Amino acid sequence: MLGRRETGLGEDAASGASTGGREAAPAHPNRLPTDWWRRNPRYVLYMLREFTAVPIAIWMVWFLVEIGRARGGSAGYRPHQSLAFVIFSVVCLVFAVWHSFTFLRLSGLIVRIPLGERTVPASAIVAGSFGLLIVATVVVGGLLILGGR
Amino acid sequence: MPDKTITLSVTRFDPDLDPEPRQQSYEIPFKDDMVVLDGLNWIKTHLDGSVNYRWSCRMGICGSCGMNVNGTPKLGCSAFLRDYLPGPVVVEPLPNFPVVRDLVIDMSSFMEKLSAVKPWIIREQGAIGTGEFLQTPAQTEQYRQFSMCINCMLCYSACPVIAIEPEFIGPAAIALARRYELDSRDQAGDERLRTITASDGIWDCSFVGECSAVCPKGVDPARAIQQTKFDSTLGVLLPWGGK
Repeated sequence: MLGRRETGLGEDAASGASTGGREAAPAHPNRLPTDWWRRNPRYVLYMLREFTAVPIAIWMVWFLVEIGRARGGSAGYRPHQSLAFVIFSVVCLVFAVWHSFTFLRLSGLIVRIPLGERTVPASAIVAGSFGLLIVATVVVGGLLILGGR
Repeated sequence: MPDKTITLSVTRFDPDLDPEPRQQSYEIPFKDDMVVLDGLNWIKTHLDGSVNYRWSCRMGICGSCGMNVNGTPKLGCSAFLRDYLPGPVVVEPLPNFPVVRDLVIDMSSFMEKLSAVKPWIIREQGAIGTGEFLQTPAQTEQYRQFSMCINCMLCYSACPVIAIEPEFIGPAAIALARRYELDSRDQAGDERLRTITASDGIWDCSFVGECSAVCPKGVDPARAIQQTKFDSTLGVLLPWGGK
């Protein structure tokens, strides 16, 4: 049977009278609940991505400390080689690659380079961004490996 | 009368009577081509004339019938009931806006933000009367997608930053500011840029991206915001940047 049934608070709103010139009653604020990020898979993915920045930041601080330890030269330097640190580093690398990929993938939409009345195609900007990432990775990696010898 | 029915659970709120919004269920006839707005109109006509909601064009142009459908901001006229079978379909007012009554929200905060970015073509003094301002198709293409915004406010409801910082100027207003910044006929770019790069402007955005995901017109407000961040950064770093 078609019809209505009620759940929740209060009286049937159908019986609500007009304000009839009285001061309007306050509106309900209707904020997103604190668990908003669990309501949508895209929100969850966003929060996960944001939180992966925390271990990356910790690893970067660790890396700065290691540079400080190595300032005396390679002779007296012993890097951390524990399995836990290696696993932590690999996990951070995966997170960093995820950040880089998702960020650079959108660079074509964000970076706008005028070319006359048009702009440089997004695909060219994305390709250039990933190309620069590869070049920077090779250069920095080469400096670290060669410089450490 | 069709054999199939579907249940709509509609938010009811009378500020004079209800301390909190509540859900009220209505069983309505189901047809394959019915949208949520059709369902609400059926309820209003046949079951309960006191249900309040906004609507006008029924074709995704006016932007009046924005509502949360099963937790996602949608235009009521574009959300087909068949996509929510077997139901119930939970219809709520757009989050992040005060609820005046039932599904009707108070949109005054959005209107203030919208007018702050001056979403119209601004010419230098006297220039408006000098004749036509021609534009090539390529120039039009620069801003076309941002001009599709219908001010339906779904993007504001999907934006968690608005929930945390209600003063954030928000996706649609920034997308429209960007639309006029990119318009070759407009000459107020710096003025708008000052507005949207100030406190509560683009830098509040943490790039969740849901504003673009829920837009019923394919506008990409997240892109407008990130583009403006990039351009304004270049404008600071390089004397010729951001132009």
